[in-house]
Amino acid sequence: MNAIPTDQESAPAAPIRLTIDDDLARNRLLVFFRLIFSVPYLIWLAIWAIGAFFAAIGNWAATLFRGEPPASLHDFLARFVRYATHVYAYLYLASEQAPSFSGRPGNSVDLEIDPPRRQNRWTVAFRAVLALPGIAIVGVLAGTGPTSVASQSGGQFRSLSLLVVAAFLGWFYALIRGRMPRGLRDLVAYALAYAAQLWGYLLVLTDRYPTSDPFALLRSLPTRSDPVWLEVRDGLRRSRLTVFFRLVLAVPHLVWLTLWGVLAALAAILNWFATLAAGTSPRWLHRFLAAFVRYQLHVSAFLYLTGNPFPGFVGAEGSYPIDLHVGPRQRQNRWTVLFRLILAVPALILAGAFSGLVGIAAVLGWFAALATGRMPPGLRNAGAFALRYMSQANAYLALVSPAYPYSGPCLEQAPAPEPTVPGP
Amino acid sequence: MTRLRLHWEAALALAAATGLWLLAAQALWRSTHLPSLDLPHLDPHRYFNSAFLDHSSSYELFLAIVGVLSSITLVVVLAIYARRGASLVRESAAGRVGTGMLLAMIGFALVWLAQVPFGLATLWWQRDHHVSHQGYLEWLLLSFLSLGSVFVFVCVGVAIAMGLAGVMRSWWWLAAAPVFVGLALLFTFLSPCLIPNTSPLHSPVLRAEARALERIEGTPEARLEVEDLKRSTTAPNAVSTGLGPSRTMILWDTLLNGGFSRSQIRFVMAHEIGHLAHDDSLKQAGWLALFLIPTLGLIAFFTRRRGGMAEAEAVPIALLVLVTLELLAGPALNLVTRRQEAAADWAALEATRDPAAGRETMRQLAIKSRSNPDPPSWIYGLYENHPTIMQRIAMAEAWKAQDSE
Repeated sequence: MNAIPTDQESAPAAPIRLTIDDDLARNRLLVFFRLIFSVPYLIWLAIWAIGAFFAAIGNWAATLFRGEPPASLHDFLARFVRYATHVYAYLYLASEQAPSFSGRPGNSVDLEIDPPRRQNRWTVAFRAVLALPGIAIVGVLAGTGPTSVASQSGGQFRSLSLLVVAAFLGWFYALIRGRMPRGLRDLVAYALAYAAQLWGYLLVLTDRYPTSDPFALLRSLPTRSDPVWLEVRDGLRRSRLTVFFRLVLAVPHLVWLTLWGVLAALAAILNWFATLAAGTSPRWLHRFLAAFVRYQLHVSAFLYLTGNPFPGFVGAEGSYPIDLHVGPRQRQNRWTVLFRLILAVPALILAGAFSGLVGIAAVLGWFAALATGRMPPGLRNAGAFALRYMSQANAYLALVSPAYPYSGPCLEQAPAPEPTVPGP
Repeated sequence: MTRLRLHWEAALALAAATGLWLLAAQALWRSTHLPSLDLPHLDPHRYFNSAFLDHSSSYELFLAIVGVLSSITLVVVLAIYARRGASLVRESAAGRVGTGMLLAMIGFALVWLAQVPFGLATLWWQRDHHVSHQGYLEWLLLSFLSLGSVFVFVCVGVAIAMGLAGVMRSWWWLAAAPVFVGLALLFTFLSPCLIPNTSPLHSPVLRAEARALERIEGTPEARLEVEDLKRSTTAPNAVSTGLGPSRTMILWDTLLNGGFSRSQIRFVMAHEIGHLAHDDSLKQAGWLALFLIPTLGLIAFFTRRRGGMAEAEAVPIALLVLVTLELLAGPALNLVTRRQEAAADWAALEATRDPAAGRETMRQLAIKSRSNPDPPSWIYGLYENHPTIMQRIAMAEAWKAQDSE
């Protein structure tokens, strides 16, 4: 079963497409010095960017006048975007192959860019303004993050983008294991694909608005059967009334979630001791914590506009169209239980970066849904993708699941029935 | 129109319940002791200049008209919502009670939306008269966000009513009334902790005077707090709240720093201590109970056509009935609070034995709040939950006359 409906399945292919031909193997030495090795490419990119800036102005004016980009300028800018993608794929460990300075196709993480086509002159004229929502998304996905988050001490720190966090975690993993995890590689590729589409839109290579839908941006996705998986049955229709008041309508749920969260934290500690002793969670604790993690997802889906209806207060499975399925309790490795808090740190850091994605999807989706009565599928699916990871991270931390959260976009299906632990 | 058919037993029970209700109301009314004074009608021009009287009259008239229009809009919006709101059930995946909560919240959200223009008009008028400093955007944002806390209480209320209706069907209201009164008492008990921007009263002089007044009025020591409100308003005020150990007197900083003399602040404190000494919070809970029993009964009656309060679809009708009855009961409840305020004024006069301070306090309160000292009777009946400034000054004069005899 496909867990998240890909509403774009029948849509024509995007004019800018990311292709991946990467076996995930990484040379530890190249990974260790990746930042330094990238410097010449970044310098060349900066020089190229100056030329691209003037070429983009020329391309904008020419397209506004002719209704179609001139082939020479289009080719120049397409190469620039492709080269930038190669460089960042190399820098952020999505690709092992060093980029060529020409921006020609042929990298293991590459871009296919369609030849110039006619564009709507109105969207060309206001391209920079129209691109603002996309720029906000790319800030969360691939920038240094446009948002500042107040820390507990009252100071401020800048939130890190998904791209930076994924590369940072992937760097450690690749150094140790000599390969890039598929999930992190695909996450970097997702951010790069979106950034490439946005640049293509901004530089007037295409008038197709970039989509943030991870299922549309990456073409070959793995099918997984995780013990904690997300199911999306919700349509895209949104009630304008409940959208307008969404934040305050969620307040009673947030109060209830906080109260329940206090109990859940105590239950998680108890669960840690019990699982460490018995190797499995007690049935009642597993059920209680699974319901809490599910309720957390329901509330988040409602608050962030990933889901439309008002959720129930008990986290019942099947009660909400953005649902979290939690498999039965399983035997867990006691070593991973003992060090669960430490092991969960990378996942929690990544979950923090994902919260930026779901947040920006909600803000933009709020305006879109108020205007059209419909949530854009890209924003809905990006939000669902982020929420799935965050829920898996919470389930892992609370020992509801032994499976480490999967960071990449994937197609999900119900896991095959496994022998469950017999009850006490 | 639904015809109400009562068997004679039911009519008798209703008559007995009405009689009991009236007896309870009478007992509660008499529990607030007020000397029978024949207050003279004073000429406001003796105490205020003509310019102020004209100014305050137009100021309050505008606010009263906005208030009436706002109330009419409120009822109209809720009436439309009662007809069409049930269709919003499809926006919920929260089950029976959760859906009821959603419909109640949306009802209040619509009310908020419809009242925004009136709120902005009121703020504009208050800013124009230098009574408020609040910015429009700040007011809008705070007002929107405060809906969140309103919704929490609404959800608790709906959960109780619908939960009880699920078990007790059409008799839920008999159990719900004491539960709501209990919650109101709990809220009153906790209210001193829920009021933001408060800090302890540090002035040793005022603290000593408050303690002395408490001894005179025969009430245990209460917590003394100051509320920081100078950024949003210039109007001075003070409140007493809490129950038992949480009893608190809160003085607004606009009173302490608003040019009031020490004897005037002392009079205000004596008034608030009067409320605490008379257990007015408890009495208000009693009045709430008296209001709730017939109100909830009527809600149960009017929601029968939608399956009763156990069904989410009935919630919009329940809101309409509740708010309409609350508006209708407003003038009657104002009678009660006016009596309690008059009794607190009298207690303050007895405790301070300073009618000049009382009279001057009232004069200053009126001037600072742009309050009409002698409003038209329709405004008095509909909105005034305190005696008019002229009535309060008359009480001070009456006390003085009585004392000199």
